[in-house]
Amino acid sequence: MPYDAMNDCEDEELLAAYAEGDAAAARALTGRLGPRVFAHAMRMLGGDRAEAEDVAQEALLRLWRAAPGWRHGEAKVTTWLYRVTANLCIDRMRGLRRAGPALDAIPEPEDDRPSAAAEMQQAARAEALQAALDDLPDRQRQAVILRHIEGLSNPEIAQIMDIGPRAVESLTARGKRALEARLLGRRDELGYRDDD
Amino acid sequence: MTERKDETGLEAFFAAARETDPQPSGDFMARLEAEALAERPRPATGGPLALWRQLRAAIGGWPGVAGLATACAAGIWLGVSPPEGLSTVWPLQEAAIDTLGVDPLSGFDLAMMEG
Repeated sequence: MPYDAMNDCEDEELLAAYAEGDAAAARALTGRLGPRVFAHAMRMLGGDRAEAEDVAQEALLRLWRAAPGWRHGEAKVTTWLYRVTANLCIDRMRGLRRAGPALDAIPEPEDDRPSAAAEMQQAARAEALQAALDDLPDRQRQAVILRHIEGLSNPEIAQIMDIGPRAVESLTARGKRALEARLLGRRDELGYRDDD
Repeated sequence: MTERKDETGLEAFFAAARETDPQPSGDFMARLEAEALAERPRPATGGPLALWRQLRAAIGGWPGVAGLATACAAGIWLGVSPPEGLSTVWPLQEAAIDTLGVDPLSGFDLAMMEG
């Protein structure tokens, strides 16, 4: 199957083609899932690129090895991958608890063009959020990232985390309260008022 | 996805995080792709497994294989322990290889094998 024709295929169909040895399916799945897994690992691991690359590589390797025995209709490929990725991240963080990036290290906007300033502001907010996320307990961080950054639904997060939807709500609510406590003091400094 | 009214003011931070999605490097993506290709199960062509699959398809799938196996087992059983009734219809002496002339290793074949 040509690469272009695979854009409309479900992940599961591509995985079935991969299990048959299809090279185009291997490329399409890597292009589709690689950046997602990497981004999730980066957020879970506090922006450590090298660790996130290791985790993403390991998670995808596990997917390739699971492909021949994949039971269709049982779990979505992305659900399975988010779960494996988060578990790998949590395992790593337990062994290597690290501090988030220092907020002082975020460079100030250097020129006064509005677009550049706005970009810097977005970057500074994202960094501040990441630093606050890093301070959350693992499960709260995972739930908040999946819900509010990756944009997944509560039932899907429940499946990924192997808990009930109510537990997901409770984790995200607690996570958001903690984030709020850490970030509200920084709203002026991060240009939050400009958005009102 | 519709979000309820953002009471906490966090939505601006979440939106900033979504806009600044961490991107993997080109090198890393190339490594991932190379690994995906290397880990790929072998295509189902060539090799003894593929030959067996073709044979199975030729005789009608698993039911065909089961039928063939049953017929083979019955044939062997008849050869090892022929039913009493059979000897009256077809005396065993007459069924000997020489009489029927179906020697599986005839003199001609032996000559061919010796070159």
